[in-house]
Amino acid sequence: MALLEINNLEAFYGMAQSLHGISLNIEEGSIVGIIGSNGAGKSTLMDSIMGLVNTKGSIKLEGEELTGKKSADVVKLGVGYAPERAHLFPYMSVYDNLLVGGITAKEDIDKNLSMVLDLFPNLIDRKNQETGTQSGGERQMVSVGRALMTSPRLLLVDEPTIGLSPKVCLDIARALRKLNEETGLTILITEQNVNFAMSLASHIHVFETGELRLSGPTDELRSNPELAKAYFGH
Amino acid sequence: MEKIFTTRSILLWILFAVVMCAIPFLAGKGFLRICIQAFFLAIYAMSWDVLSGRTGYVSFGHPFLVGIGTYATAILSYRFDMPLIASIPLGILATMIGGTILFLPALRIKETYFALVTLAFMELIYQLTQVVRPDLTGGTRGISGIESITTGAINNYYLSFGLMFIIAFSLWALMRTRLGNALSAIGMNEEAVKGCGINTTKLKLFAFLVSALVAGIGGAFSVHYFGSLAPRNLFDINFLFTIIVAALIGGSSTIIGPMIGALFLTFLLEYLRPWVPGTERFFIYGIVALLLYMYRPSGIYAIFWEVVDKFKGKNASSIKDSTSIQGVK
Repeated sequence: MALLEINNLEAFYGMAQSLHGISLNIEEGSIVGIIGSNGAGKSTLMDSIMGLVNTKGSIKLEGEELTGKKSADVVKLGVGYAPERAHLFPYMSVYDNLLVGGITAKEDIDKNLSMVLDLFPNLIDRKNQETGTQSGGERQMVSVGRALMTSPRLLLVDEPTIGLSPKVCLDIARALRKLNEETGLTILITEQNVNFAMSLASHIHVFETGELRLSGPTDELRSNPELAKAYFGH
Repeated sequence: MEKIFTTRSILLWILFAVVMCAIPFLAGKGFLRICIQAFFLAIYAMSWDVLSGRTGYVSFGHPFLVGIGTYATAILSYRFDMPLIASIPLGILATMIGGTILFLPALRIKETYFALVTLAFMELIYQLTQVVRPDLTGGTRGISGIESITTGAINNYYLSFGLMFIIAFSLWALMRTRLGNALSAIGMNEEAVKGCGINTTKLKLFAFLVSALVAGIGGAFSVHYFGSLAPRNLFDINFLFTIIVAALIGGSSTIIGPMIGALFLTFLLEYLRPWVPGTERFFIYGIVALLLYMYRPSGIYAIFWEVVDKFKGKNASSIKDSTSIQGVK
């Protein structure tokens, strides 16, 4: 059984339908990438899993239905969420941001904190710095770290490379891969940066205007002419 | 996990208490009476700040909460001869229950609408106290001759300071826990707090209950100090703004800030009295507040730490490090 099973998912912002009949599975221990341009529905998929938008259809985490649940309950069931553009608490320190993430983890809080600082050692020296004064890369690391503080079984990372330099993108990719290899954490990542997503994910889903256009193992899709035409212009 | 209490922070609190307890030995009774007013204002400002400064839900109805505590204890002790040891806790309890029943639905709405709804509550209770059972509330004239807890400026100074100190220390300790951390986070990004698995409705309710508890304590004790209450003064827009301005001018989202703001405002208004005896004093304090908001919106408390940092030779603007003020924030 897949860790996350999405069946015939439709999502709505008010009257506007943003996702149309999405069905996909995510296997435990894998890194899966969702790619697509602006408005493709990548972030909406994340919001749907987190219970932040109105949905129809089914989203199951290890057989447990997530649709209709509040985001707080989704997190408690084991989904960690690092949203697009980090969404941190800007007047709080890195440490306090991480602690807010760790509230639901209770006894695991110290273990999670050392795991996050081990994963992103740059944050150790910045522990007491307000996140509003940090660089985009550091903020992204705090965002992923805060999601990890919730002790997730599935980590959702929404467009982690937006506005970041190639060097920082590489650091984040390295950290996510390490996380997956060492802890077996399942990671679902959305990206416009196709190269970044393909360098990480074993499986890719391509979204276009709220529909799932293509799916497959990364190596197969890399040579797919349709994908090459859509994203590489050749 | 970092400790809630550090030696440095505890020493600073002890120093604060010692200095404030020494004031009656050095100052006159007039000065002490101004301090008492400032301490009660500080309690109201801290109460406002717990809800509005932390969570970002700006309440324009705080006199409503203060009013419940004030009226409840005054009616119970004055009309029903209940001893203060019972009427004061019941007044505080009434603030928490009555406030929750009316405010709780309002916590579902946000921003301007929340502020307007809370303002409506203040107006509602103002009207109700005048027309519903005036034999109990005293109608438009209110109640006077309410029993005192203690007499004399010095005793009341220690009583009001003790209350303010206990409340401030408790709130400070609370805000340094994970729960306090999450409360502050709501004001910055409520959606992100939800995304951390936290039930923000429960958290806001908790903030409101703490805020009501503090407002109830302030209201219940202050009416036994002043000995009278009048609805026109209690549910007055000037009183509301004085509470808010005290919190903002001192430094919102801190515990020390509202206390500094309350002392600054009360003394400013009192020391202006010989030169500007009328309500024009409020015009001057309005200008002071405006200038502070324009040039130092983070308040007097932040200015103090900027000066300390400069004195220590730190460049405050290079990296904003929250440790410098964490000890006493």
